[in-house]
Amino acid sequence: MNPISALGAWMLAAVEEFGQYAVFTARALWGIVRPPYRLRNLFRQMEFVGNQSLSIVLITGAFTGMVFAVQTDFAFGRFGARGLIGSTVVLALTRELGPVLTSLMVNGRVGSAMAAEIGTMRVTEQIDALESMAIDPVQYLASPRIGASILMLPILCAAFDLVGAMGVSYVATQVLGVNPGPYYARMEWFVDPDDIWGGMLKSAVFGFIIASVGCYRGFTARGGAEGVGRATTRAVVASGVAILVVDYFITVILAPMSVNRA
Amino acid sequence: MSDDCIRLENLQKRFGAQEVLRGVDLEIPFGKITVVIGRSGTGKSVLLKILMGLMRADGGRIVIGGTDITRLGDRELLKVRNRFGMVFQHAALFDSMTVFENVAFPLREHERLREPALKERVNAALASVGLVEHGHKDVHQLSGGMRKRAAVARALVRKPEFLLYDEPTTGLDPIMTAHVDDLIRNTQNATPGLTSLVISHDMEATLRIADKVAMLHEGRVIFEGTAADVRSTDHPVVRQFVEGRLEGPIQI
Repeated sequence: MNPISALGAWMLAAVEEFGQYAVFTARALWGIVRPPYRLRNLFRQMEFVGNQSLSIVLITGAFTGMVFAVQTDFAFGRFGARGLIGSTVVLALTRELGPVLTSLMVNGRVGSAMAAEIGTMRVTEQIDALESMAIDPVQYLASPRIGASILMLPILCAAFDLVGAMGVSYVATQVLGVNPGPYYARMEWFVDPDDIWGGMLKSAVFGFIIASVGCYRGFTARGGAEGVGRATTRAVVASGVAILVVDYFITVILAPMSVNRA
Repeated sequence: MSDDCIRLENLQKRFGAQEVLRGVDLEIPFGKITVVIGRSGTGKSVLLKILMGLMRADGGRIVIGGTDITRLGDRELLKVRNRFGMVFQHAALFDSMTVFENVAFPLREHERLREPALKERVNAALASVGLVEHGHKDVHQLSGGMRKRAAVARALVRKPEFLLYDEPTTGLDPIMTAHVDDLIRNTQNATPGLTSLVISHDMEATLRIADKVAMLHEGRVIFEGTAADVRSTDHPVVRQFVEGRLEGPIQI
């Protein structure tokens, strides 16, 4: 095959794949709003996505805040702006690091588990069994996972922001010796609730990406254990890349809304 | 033509350029065990999926007791699906649930039962396959034979009219095969009005359990008859398949 037609074939395959993903996702979202409502499944997934991810999110958040305090001090100390460490790092945490790092950590844990679990159900005919019992497998399996991730990621992100801010503040005021007075005054001056809300909104979108890609990869898994492994890897990689790409575009869209505030 | 059967008329299905079913004509009599045999990849599983309404045929009709289900909309088709129970090749039990919960699952999803009534129905189904004492176990604690039995219990719990088995004895040792044969026969005898359809390429098992045998070959039914007819037929394709010979009309 010549390079041009190879490129064309690749493009067609990519478009087809995305189309299938879109149809799958639409079915899953429709499954959230239409009956039957399986609240028990939703709560079980919320526990899995939220509670069970909390410890890794808290550890990541605290140390991210702490290391950024040290690095920002390294840069800001050169021109005597150490009082701005808190506001700078907390802005970065709430607007960017919180949603992105939370999502990437949760993606590694939750996205892979969803792809592996549903993929195993696919290759062992458990999904066919659901269908044979007149149950829509997309609604039964994917809808609660996607719903739970959209609900829980913002909460995890808020937890990340909180411990991150505590980490910066501790390192800045207790370890680096920044004067707490201007430190907290600046932080209050610079950081607005909109920064936090914006970050939480982003993480809801990322939660949707993690769960929908993980479930889609699971549903389309083929060919035994190897196929499930491949589905899992592809889910984590695709979600991770998508989170970073989508993050840029959401930021660009959200930015004008917060520039002119005062 | 009688109405006490499932009648497939000129059923066709293709995937892209590949013609899987090229006009299948078959009568599956009510209240009996019918076994459809054929080589792997001859469209037996596709036939099951179309029958259950999991897949639509490209042409032809499926008439169940006088009603043509190929003309039904999605909603009515869902009702038809509720009249079927399916036992999958590898049981396909939900491994996140106990045996009891597996059997209870279709009831919880489709019927509003109080817990005592539900328990009674599930335990009755488990009792019919000899698994009452194993309800609390996780699926992975069961042996292969117990899994098959649990799968039959799950397929039976909603009292379907039709029970479908997809390759029930494939990959099992001879003793397990005999056990599953017994299970199919006993289930049939213990359930009045049940119609069983078994998809298989296991000839010995087929001849033991079948009231009726049909052979699917190259997308068509080329033979129909009783187990005795299969033993005595001189149809070259059936003979080759039954005797498992390399030489003959079937080429690999």
